[in-house]
Amino acid sequence: MRIKKYDFNYGRRMLMEKAAKGVGTAGVLAPMWPMVGDAGDTSKAYPDELLSISAYTKGKIKPGDVIDSNNVDAVKDLFDPITYIQLKKQGRKINVVESTKDATKLFPNQYLMATLKNQGTAKFDATGNIVAKDGGPWNGGNPFPEPKNGVEAISNLTLAWGRHSYSQYAIRDWDIAPDGSEAYKYDFVWCEMNCTARPDGTVYNGKKDLLRYQSVFFTSPTETAGSSFLNTWYYDQTKFPDLYGYLPAFRRVRQFPTNQRFEPLVPGITLFLSDAWAAGDPMLTWGNYKIVGRQPMMGCISGINFRGGYHPNYERTVHGGPKGQTFFDTWFELIPECIVLEAEPTGYPRSPVGKKRIWIDARNGMFVAYITYDRRGEIWKSFEPAFAQYSNDKMTIKDAQGHPDWSWVYVHSHDLQANRMSRFSQVREVTGGYKSKFSEQGEDVYSKYLTTQAIARLGTG
Amino acid sequence: MFSLRFRIAKWVMNHRGLSGAVFALITLFFGIGLKDVRLDTIFSDLLPRDEPYVQVFKDHPNFGNPLTFTLMVQRKNGDIYNAETLGKVWNMTRDIDLAPGVDHDQILSISTEKARYAEATPFGIDMRPLMGDAVPKTPEEIADFKMRVEKSPNARTFLISVDQSATLINATFNESRLDYAEAFKYVQGLVLAARDENHNVYLAGQPALTGWVFTYKSEMFKIFAITLSALIISLALYMRNVVGVVTPIVTSTVAAIWGFGLTGWIKSPIEPLLMVVPLLLIARSFSHCVQFTERYYEIYAHLKDRKQAAEITMGVMMAPSILGIFTDIVGIFLIAIAPIPAMERFALFCGFWCVWLIPTGVVLISLLLSWLPPPKNVDELVGKGGTTLLQRMLRKIAGITYGRAAPWTAGIMIGIGVFAVQTALQIRVGNPVEGSNLLWDDSEFNEAVRQINRNFAGVNTLEIIFEAKDQKNPARLMQREDSIVTMQRLQHIIENAPDAPRATLSFGDYLQEANRLFAGGDPRWAPLDPTDFYVSAAAGAVMVGSSPKAFSHVIDFEQQNGTVSLWFKDNKQETVDAALREATKAVAEVGADHKEFTIRLGSGTIALQYAMNHVVERYHYLIIALLNLVILMGCSLAYRSFVAGIILLIPVNMANFSLNAAMHVIGIGLDINSLMVAAIGVGVGIDYGIYLLSRICEEYHAQDHDWGRAITVSLVTTGKAILFTASIMFVGILPWIFMSSLRFMADMGLLLTLTMLFNMVLALVLLPLLVWIFKPNFVKRKDLLVGEGVDLSAFTGAADEAAIPAAQGAH
Repeated sequence: MRIKKYDFNYGRRMLMEKAAKGVGTAGVLAPMWPMVGDAGDTSKAYPDELLSISAYTKGKIKPGDVIDSNNVDAVKDLFDPITYIQLKKQGRKINVVESTKDATKLFPNQYLMATLKNQGTAKFDATGNIVAKDGGPWNGGNPFPEPKNGVEAISNLTLAWGRHSYSQYAIRDWDIAPDGSEAYKYDFVWCEMNCTARPDGTVYNGKKDLLRYQSVFFTSPTETAGSSFLNTWYYDQTKFPDLYGYLPAFRRVRQFPTNQRFEPLVPGITLFLSDAWAAGDPMLTWGNYKIVGRQPMMGCISGINFRGGYHPNYERTVHGGPKGQTFFDTWFELIPECIVLEAEPTGYPRSPVGKKRIWIDARNGMFVAYITYDRRGEIWKSFEPAFAQYSNDKMTIKDAQGHPDWSWVYVHSHDLQANRMSRFSQVREVTGGYKSKFSEQGEDVYSKYLTTQAIARLGTG
Repeated sequence: MFSLRFRIAKWVMNHRGLSGAVFALITLFFGIGLKDVRLDTIFSDLLPRDEPYVQVFKDHPNFGNPLTFTLMVQRKNGDIYNAETLGKVWNMTRDIDLAPGVDHDQILSISTEKARYAEATPFGIDMRPLMGDAVPKTPEEIADFKMRVEKSPNARTFLISVDQSATLINATFNESRLDYAEAFKYVQGLVLAARDENHNVYLAGQPALTGWVFTYKSEMFKIFAITLSALIISLALYMRNVVGVVTPIVTSTVAAIWGFGLTGWIKSPIEPLLMVVPLLLIARSFSHCVQFTERYYEIYAHLKDRKQAAEITMGVMMAPSILGIFTDIVGIFLIAIAPIPAMERFALFCGFWCVWLIPTGVVLISLLLSWLPPPKNVDELVGKGGTTLLQRMLRKIAGITYGRAAPWTAGIMIGIGVFAVQTALQIRVGNPVEGSNLLWDDSEFNEAVRQINRNFAGVNTLEIIFEAKDQKNPARLMQREDSIVTMQRLQHIIENAPDAPRATLSFGDYLQEANRLFAGGDPRWAPLDPTDFYVSAAAGAVMVGSSPKAFSHVIDFEQQNGTVSLWFKDNKQETVDAALREATKAVAEVGADHKEFTIRLGSGTIALQYAMNHVVERYHYLIIALLNLVILMGCSLAYRSFVAGIILLIPVNMANFSLNAAMHVIGIGLDINSLMVAAIGVGVGIDYGIYLLSRICEEYHAQDHDWGRAITVSLVTTGKAILFTASIMFVGILPWIFMSSLRFMADMGLLLTLTMLFNMVLALVLLPLLVWIFKPNFVKRKDLLVGEGVDLSAFTGAADEAAIPAAQGAH
């Protein structure tokens, strides 16, 4: 009698065991990180059924197929509950592609290098904040590439949202009403610059006490153009960021309540500040972090999702919903190992959110799905990100060292309770001529975009 | 002799198996529909659809807070500025966020982040929540909180009462997720838990009203069950035999299955608030069955053959039964003329139920009687016993309708008639109550409304809607100078007119407040610069950092429509009339038609109350007139005499006037309830007249053309049946008057009782009097369609002098 070494459920069983035992090492058959450091190919770290949707579904779904209401039940456990409802009941369709096996495609190169360089050196100090080997602020990359607990897992998200020292996203947003019509549409620019925890290993202008500056300013429609906000994050993750707003007609900066994180910035959009990067609040203002499981998951991380070359402005085609425009067209793949993380807003006594659940790709520490629940425990909102190496068969965007760059490409932010969808996409350029970029490119971005004087100037521009 | 109806009866009796199978199949068909029967109160369906105000309401249902629970927490002694009261408000606000279906973005109280104050700081304008991250506890913290409230005019006006003893918590729910019963149960639970020796807590708002009505649903079923049991007990007491009880129950049940099943098949929800009427129909079906069965016993007693007796009874009773039911059907179907969706659905449901009473109450009952064993007490039932007290009373009543007493009675009747008409014509339209007239004045909900009206702007609003002509115009209407400035002008005109409202509010007010705050907080900066740029900027300032849902009481989500809300002190008719008059004048002054928008008057409780009353004014007399016309035609045809129609209609119309007069005297105005009752009253009430007139026609011949004796015998025999019919209907209706927590149902019960009572008395007194006075020729004819007499000798082959009196009509 021949005993098969790995039966069909081996991979899933091992992930469950790892979660139960609190093992942080990524990989099922072998530790993944040495493979990443070596050649990037992680295919030997996981069994076939975790890297092939055909194997996982025993041939029911394979790359090239489209998942919709007819076949979604075959992969129901690979989607978060809101995406499942979208597929089952709201006319959403998702294209399926092969799983990415080369882990270097899941990071910007500089960030991956920093992660490899600094791995094993991050620690928590007495205040619960992360310090580097020298006791100073974190110096780049994922502080905990193989998180063993919830706080380590959220650290990888919170300290370096966009995985670059400076990112500037030109964003086009459509807010879809329950009847499927377009209720609002905005162009805005999101700038985020880390002062510490920068993948280039530096501290910006000596500002060790700050984690980042982050601004958002609207450029369209006319009545919203010039409205801008500035968030200043402290390195100390127990402190609330300072939030300032500016409206051009009033020529006055307004300070918002620092703990007001559960309101939209502008009318119609379902995104709260708290939702940004599934880690929109300082990590120590939330609590009860716990890893509740590890599982394979369908996620949008393939390079094909970058639409450069297919549309002059990288814009996406849409489908589904009552008027055929609720969802972006997208390509998902089977992600072999996701950490399922839960946390509660313990620092917000008036929070309407009860808890959040985040599915994090164990390979790059980035989230692929994020759900909030209300205090009754009912599903409220989802925040579905799509990431891509900015390289496809028609176009490649390269970093300063000539490596293909990496960033997010779109977000579906769906308030299921009100059934309002905000879908926004990172495009090449928005109204006002602002372009997406992933480094300063010689510009004094701090003075231009990231001070209270700057947001006032952007308003008058 | 063997007319069509007898030929039908003969065919049915000769094919009893087939006929029974047809009934079984139809019942099975409608029985399948029962699984889809839905009892549902759709409040907007109680509004007349063609009224302009209702159309405005339906186009903009979000204005007027239809999905908001409003809770008022009131300190019994002192003000709210103490740790206990503020803590209570904090906890209730947090707890209501746990309510099923609540919109987490739309909870507002002094403890939420949405209640803010502004302060100028070196870094700009600092907007902060009135309350920090914890409830103020120390005297210093409370004093600081009070100072912040002083800096927030909106909180002072809309969240805290003038005497500072009360504060509001508003929670709006997601319509698609709102289960009224579940949400109400939860919120009412919070209210009950929060009341204590220091605090009153009140709950109002449209969802609370709906919740209360749903809460009474189980009570409704209980009263329904009690009433049904009472009907069956009355039936058993009257009949005193199994067949006499089983037959009406089976027949009525089959009709009910058909009636309910149809609504299931066509997916038309049944309005539970109108369940009194189906009970009336069950009572109607019972009384009809009793009369049919009694007639069967009379014939059976003579023939001693079930099948033959059933066949003859069917032939004899077919025409008068159909005529009686026909008038009910007309009455109920004519209710649908009033363009109120709930009434239309109701008319369809009850109207067809009435139609089903024809096959079940004529054919099915005959089949059942022919199959079931005859009772042992037939002789007792057919009245071969002695003279009863009831018969003596009826004989006395008969005595005043003819002969020497007749002129006196006529005089009294004319006097009553003149008084009734005069009083009835004074009746006002509408029954304004503070709160909802679905519930009793002293109900918890109406008390809550009164208290909130007393302490805050209240709930009696008139909404004047500004509607964008292009709903997808990227230049959103609520950010345009023309619309906002026009809103402010309109408010100014109305506030300075006679009968001014106690408060007004529009999106423009929020824009001014934003203008003031963003410009540094000085009130001198509040006025808006009248340009699109600055209005749009102020709108942006209001909206920034919040969802449009926070302003859903004044603008819609996409900012294309807005409302000017006017609060009035009460909803009395004179207030309503004055409010609409001044609003109409103000709208005319600013112009209803603008380049980018139209101003539409209006929505809100004031406008909807007017619309409800207006539909009653438009249709009350129209429905009565049409009903008169149709019944006149039907009865004239049946009796082949126009005079017969007139004679039948006089008592029912006088009953209707008497009902309106009585309503006026006891202080009830005309409303949708009375509209329905009037139609049903005439339709069902005229049956009494038809029974009696038919009998008089028969007895005229039986009593040798003696009018007096004909009237007396008719009253003693058919009068008894009328009394029984009326009594059984009272049994079906009376419990609602005394047991229902829903004033709407109790009122309907009361009005139906009154109308049945007036119709009964007038049928027994006025109808025979009219016959005596006019001595119409149609009575002398022998070929009437509605004659109930039959010569039983034709069936037995020999004349029989002992034939029961009722069967002697057609010699």
